[in-house]
Amino acid sequence: MASAPNAMHDSANDLGNDLAIDLTDVHKTYGRKIRALQGVTLQVRAGEIFGLLGPNGAGKSTLVKIMMTIVRPDTAKGTVLNRGVGDPVALARIGYLPEHHRFPTYLTGRQVVEFSGAMSKVDRATRKKRASELLDRVGMGDWKDRPLSSYSKGMRQRVGLAAALVNDPQLVVLDEPTDGVDPVGRREIRDLLIGIRDEGRTVLLNSHLLSEIENVCSRVAILVQGRLVAQGTIDELTSSSRRYEIVVEGSAPAWCAESASVRMIPAGQMLSAGIQGESCRLVFLGLDALGAQSILDRLRSEQRTVIAAQTVRESLEDLFMRAVTDPTTGLIYRPGAAT
Amino acid sequence: MMQTVAIFVGAYRELSARKIFWLALAISLLVVGLFACLGINETGISFLGWTFESPMFSTNTTSPETFYKLLFVNLGVDWWLGVLSTLLALVTTCGIIPDLVAPGSIDLLLAKPITRTRLFLTKYCTGLLFAALQVFVFSTASFFVIGLRGGAWEWALFAAVPIVTFFYSLLFSMCAFIGVLTRSSVASLILTLLAWTIIFTINISESIVNSGRIANQMEATKIESELANTDDPVDEDKLEELTGDLEKTLANRPTWDRAHFWFFGVKTFLPKTTDTLKLLDRWLLDGASMPSRNEESERGPQQAFGPKRVKRGEFQRAVKADEQSHSIWWVLGTSLVFEGIVLGLATVIFVRRDY
Repeated sequence: MASAPNAMHDSANDLGNDLAIDLTDVHKTYGRKIRALQGVTLQVRAGEIFGLLGPNGAGKSTLVKIMMTIVRPDTAKGTVLNRGVGDPVALARIGYLPEHHRFPTYLTGRQVVEFSGAMSKVDRATRKKRASELLDRVGMGDWKDRPLSSYSKGMRQRVGLAAALVNDPQLVVLDEPTDGVDPVGRREIRDLLIGIRDEGRTVLLNSHLLSEIENVCSRVAILVQGRLVAQGTIDELTSSSRRYEIVVEGSAPAWCAESASVRMIPAGQMLSAGIQGESCRLVFLGLDALGAQSILDRLRSEQRTVIAAQTVRESLEDLFMRAVTDPTTGLIYRPGAAT
Repeated sequence: MMQTVAIFVGAYRELSARKIFWLALAISLLVVGLFACLGINETGISFLGWTFESPMFSTNTTSPETFYKLLFVNLGVDWWLGVLSTLLALVTTCGIIPDLVAPGSIDLLLAKPITRTRLFLTKYCTGLLFAALQVFVFSTASFFVIGLRGGAWEWALFAAVPIVTFFYSLLFSMCAFIGVLTRSSVASLILTLLAWTIIFTINISESIVNSGRIANQMEATKIESELANTDDPVDEDKLEELTGDLEKTLANRPTWDRAHFWFFGVKTFLPKTTDTLKLLDRWLLDGASMPSRNEESERGPQQAFGPKRVKRGEFQRAVKADEQSHSIWWVLGTSLVFEGIVLGLATVIFVRRDY
């Protein structure tokens, strides 16, 4: 197995002062051996949906729990909502939905939301009003006066979301919010998250579902073995892998072989479907559509038939897999925290 | 304050969602109902029209007011609230702290703007809610039974609410400590019951040893008095018997004293569960309105460790006087110190732990 990961990117240096979360040098060791977090720096802008990614045991939940004072860090510098980590004023402005939450099943949906509001010091009239509004918003309006024991997992998740929003939070921290929710519900929750962001709130989303993150998050961070190996917008993080691919009939032109930034893939190794016969794919690393025009012109001037031409970039899944793979050995880092 | 109210309202909802809470409440009312069905007349005790003759209990020896207070203290508090209802309360509430620290549950609360110490201690107090509600309902019902049937409206009955709740808090502090340590409801219940049994055994042992010690002292004093006052110096057999008994009694004294020293020493550091409930005896049965239940009989067979030459009533009064020589503050204070230490340790573990 591979050893400790190295940082790929860290593009959070130019974020300015408008940060909802600004943490540096977060360390946490469980017992004496398990190093869950090793100097993590995380910066989340106000008003964005930020995705926290990482394999199991990478330290995502520990990082979130440190922010929410559920786990005590060895060290944690920085601020959450411009206050120290664990500051009660900041906590009152955060909405949190943990993974595998356990609300009392004898309570009704409305009671759960109202209890959450009371614990966040929301006055009685406001929390009653917001409870009804939020339960309607998450599609639980017809169920709000029934006990949770009669709810499905997805319904409990929706109630949990309403409970996380009852204190009108500036920052919403969601750990696997679509866990157990059906595809329709996921779509609704995704729309809800976008709505929350549009209201000016910040959302920190911890999820294993890369497509979910890719669809809603403007920036992401990837944690591997307690270290932050990537942080930035998906565009920034995948820019190094951006390439332009041209499929031409026949063999590759000789001039391509002279360029170090061009890879030539013969037809036998090509993955794209629908391309048959004697052809070759030319992959121009770091090239965009504009830069490719001169190459296309040259190919045409050489009477080559261009079958396909497109800009290609890594998916979030590709990025994730690259982040969790040791570049020296090509092996995936072993799961869990560093020891 | 808003958070404290919310936690208490949540605890009430939790209790009311449990059938065992309503069952215990129903049994409480049933017990008081049985008290109401009992009566006392010139010949003995009546029950729903039947009369059971009793030389000890009749209106000639005991007033109706005293009779119902005896029922309230000896059966209602000592047995129902002090044992059976407490068992039900422990079964019901043993899960409060393990449920609090369960993954998925603790996260929701710690993420709120409330300190861990306050959260834990408030949750601990909600555990006492069961006992407090049960005792309050029981005392209120008993208040009306004693008022209507006994003719005395005794407000002192409501002293049972803080006393029994405090008694329960001593057990629940251990339950909370074990709960936060093991995170297991079953372990909390079983180990608390075990601790209660050990404390009860030590209390009873100390009580027995103390009775023996007092009996020894009274016996020696009585023999010395008989020796000093004997008018028949020629009755050598009696003189020899008295001298022999005195020597034997005095020889046993160091053993009683040493045993009592150790049992009392251990008891001092433990919660006074039995003594706490006996505080109600002091307030309800030793008042001007009635004689103490232990003074009912001056004669009768001696107890196992009772002195041979001292009347039973005199001996029992001496034992009771010794028991009551421990001030209320000693009973409550030493118990509070124990509870404080146990609760303090539990709080430290709760506050310092990662979840």
